[in-house]
Amino acid sequence: MTPPRYESPLGTRYASSVMQALWSAEHRAGLWRRLWLALAEAERALGVPIPEDAIAGIRAHLDDADLAAVRVYEQRLRHDVMAHIHHLGDQAPAARPYLHLGATSCFVTDNADLIVLRDACGLLLGRLRRVLAALRELAITHADQPTVAYTHFQPALLTTVGKRATLWAFDFALDADALLRVLERLPFRGCKGATGTQASFVELFHGDAAKVRELDRRVAAAFGFTETVPVCGQTYSRKVDAQIVDAWAGLGQSGSKFGNDLRLLQHEGELLEPAESAQVGSSVMPYKRNPMRAERLCALSRYLVALRENTAYTAATQWLERTLDDSANRRLVLPDAAMAADALLILAADIGRGVEVRQSTVERNVTRVMPYMATERWLLLAVAAGGDRQSVHEVIRRHSWAARDAEDRGEPPSLLDRLAADPAFAKVDVARLRAELEPARYIGRSSSQVHEYVAEHLDPLLERLTPFATSDSAGVTV
Amino acid sequence: MPFALAESRLPLPLLRRGKVREVYEVGPDALLLVASDRVSAFDVVLPNPIPRKGAVLTQISAFWFGELRDVLPSHFLTADDDEIIARVPALASHRDQLSGRAMLCRRTTPFPIECVVRGYLSGSAWAEYRDRGTLAGEPMPRGLVESARLDRPIFSPATKADVGHDENITLDHARDIVGADRADQLRDASLKLYAAGRDRAATRGIIIADTKFEFGKTSEGTTLLIDEVLTPDSSRFWPADQYAPGRGQPSFDKQPLRDYLADLKKVGKWNGSAPGPDLPPEVVRATSDRYVDAYRRITGHDLPA
Repeated sequence: MTPPRYESPLGTRYASSVMQALWSAEHRAGLWRRLWLALAEAERALGVPIPEDAIAGIRAHLDDADLAAVRVYEQRLRHDVMAHIHHLGDQAPAARPYLHLGATSCFVTDNADLIVLRDACGLLLGRLRRVLAALRELAITHADQPTVAYTHFQPALLTTVGKRATLWAFDFALDADALLRVLERLPFRGCKGATGTQASFVELFHGDAAKVRELDRRVAAAFGFTETVPVCGQTYSRKVDAQIVDAWAGLGQSGSKFGNDLRLLQHEGELLEPAESAQVGSSVMPYKRNPMRAERLCALSRYLVALRENTAYTAATQWLERTLDDSANRRLVLPDAAMAADALLILAADIGRGVEVRQSTVERNVTRVMPYMATERWLLLAVAAGGDRQSVHEVIRRHSWAARDAEDRGEPPSLLDRLAADPAFAKVDVARLRAELEPARYIGRSSSQVHEYVAEHLDPLLERLTPFATSDSAGVTV
Repeated sequence: MPFALAESRLPLPLLRRGKVREVYEVGPDALLLVASDRVSAFDVVLPNPIPRKGAVLTQISAFWFGELRDVLPSHFLTADDDEIIARVPALASHRDQLSGRAMLCRRTTPFPIECVVRGYLSGSAWAEYRDRGTLAGEPMPRGLVESARLDRPIFSPATKADVGHDENITLDHARDIVGADRADQLRDASLKLYAAGRDRAATRGIIIADTKFEFGKTSEGTTLLIDEVLTPDSSRFWPADQYAPGRGQPSFDKQPLRDYLADLKKVGKWNGSAPGPDLPPEVVRATSDRYVDAYRRITGHDLPA
């Protein structure tokens, strides 16, 4: 019987199976073996006498590491990389004498981490593409739908539902830019030796510096990297991790704002996140429909934003060529950050795609605030008809407050009638006052801004993200 | 035009590189089949890959494996990129090569015969009938014309040739190769699979004139449908609205390509042997459109982007 174990909820509840596979022990073992294979192949090609059957031996055992056998070695040796080398040596005896030749542990650990980080960035860009596509759809569909804009979470002027969606899209688009920048510049560690000086490879190639550099290039190319770090100590600079997690944390910022906005709007009854027909909101309050997906989005986003402290401090606390300050912290933080980002983007896409715009509520809320929106224009009409600006302002203020008090008591909106009956507005035609209540006159260039933003910014970005497209089998576990 | 893949290069042990497909090993129990975008016509692989062709072939197979599951279970595990990467994360860096072209399958021991079913008289079967009045060695009624619909679909096995053409054989010969009971089992399965596929395709305006099935045995001894199934590459697809017996039929998928090549041959610009000539962009595009359309026609859905 295996004893009860702790499992991270990021694995059991939130992150996709693809993201989990990237950070799995099995994948790491497979990558280490591919790195040893690429190293041996490149060394052989450059004249190191490694027999073909040694290489064939590694190639035949890329994905069949027995992690239990590795653990037995590790308990004895207290060294994870050597444990893997011994186990592979058992499976491929012909390769055993040539494995890891000239390399240091960080050859496999750091390079494999960079491959996983790169692939995680790629997967996140695929997820982000879905979020952006969903928000694009939302923006276009509701580009002309006037809605109350809020500053200080108090009704301000109007905007449109679609225009507001572009605000969320723009935040996520900035994150996509950051991720693309990180990916474009992400280097491989390559073959640099124990303190980064390549001394062991200089020995291996009898002082032939050109071959040492060519080895570095070839192994990097085998994994699709065009650049290796120009210099490093034992490890690649941990600032690389920090910059990646910074880019991921940006997703947390955007996810949090999107999630919070949705929760506010669900409170107003204007936008509802998607819900299953049998979903229960509360065990005791059966009527409740809670914005639980948006709440989870916020919770995961906050976790991700907070994680970046770790990578910043890890970069800050490395000593000289390396210390082990990074190891345990990176083991936790890098996968957690990747999985939190994955989970929040799956949620954001799900919400963005399924969000329900309650048009009647949106319109009712607009109608309720319209008279107050119109006061500035009514003021101008009264002044144009000969009124004194300061006196009219006081008249409007007095009636506004009274009308709002009456509405709070449950009476119908009355500001227009109150003003029309006031002597200050005697010379203004009521029809002209009423004409100012048309919401479309208060949305400025919202609609055009939506179409311009989509055409000039969002669509080109979505095109750039096409190579990262995922097949979208990842769903939300609610 | 989306990116076209001439041949895949994935970080897995390569078992076979076929005319248009690669087969990789995924541990002891699974295989990854990748349909590249290479295209062949008149038995020559052409230099220009056809965008989306590989994805069309793979996703049509995936569709049929699902449709035909009740007739016979198959080796199909998944053809969804995310699900494949979740099981084989080493492929995460190669999503551009997957893009719907790859299928993860259970590994089986294939039976060494190709199980061809013919519902219409075409290709090598027409040649055999015209010359000898038989089909798969069995006598046939006289007076059939090219592309004639057969009263009953005929099981017409072939050997699997490593090089050159597969050779048509008789049912008796197939019994010698795989055993009598097994040969009869594969014949019955083939005829049922063909009938189910033919009826379904007919509702969508496509005639499946003939097709080739392959079967394999699992380590537990179960027979599974394997390889690709009822794709344009393993079958003759004819547009039903243009069907007219008494001549060769236009091909649903490759006709623009064949027309172009036939014209080149006619004016002496290509002798019909490898290497094939470069294809102009409009022929590449037209062929790609035909494949994508074939997917839509057969499945009723657009090929996912």
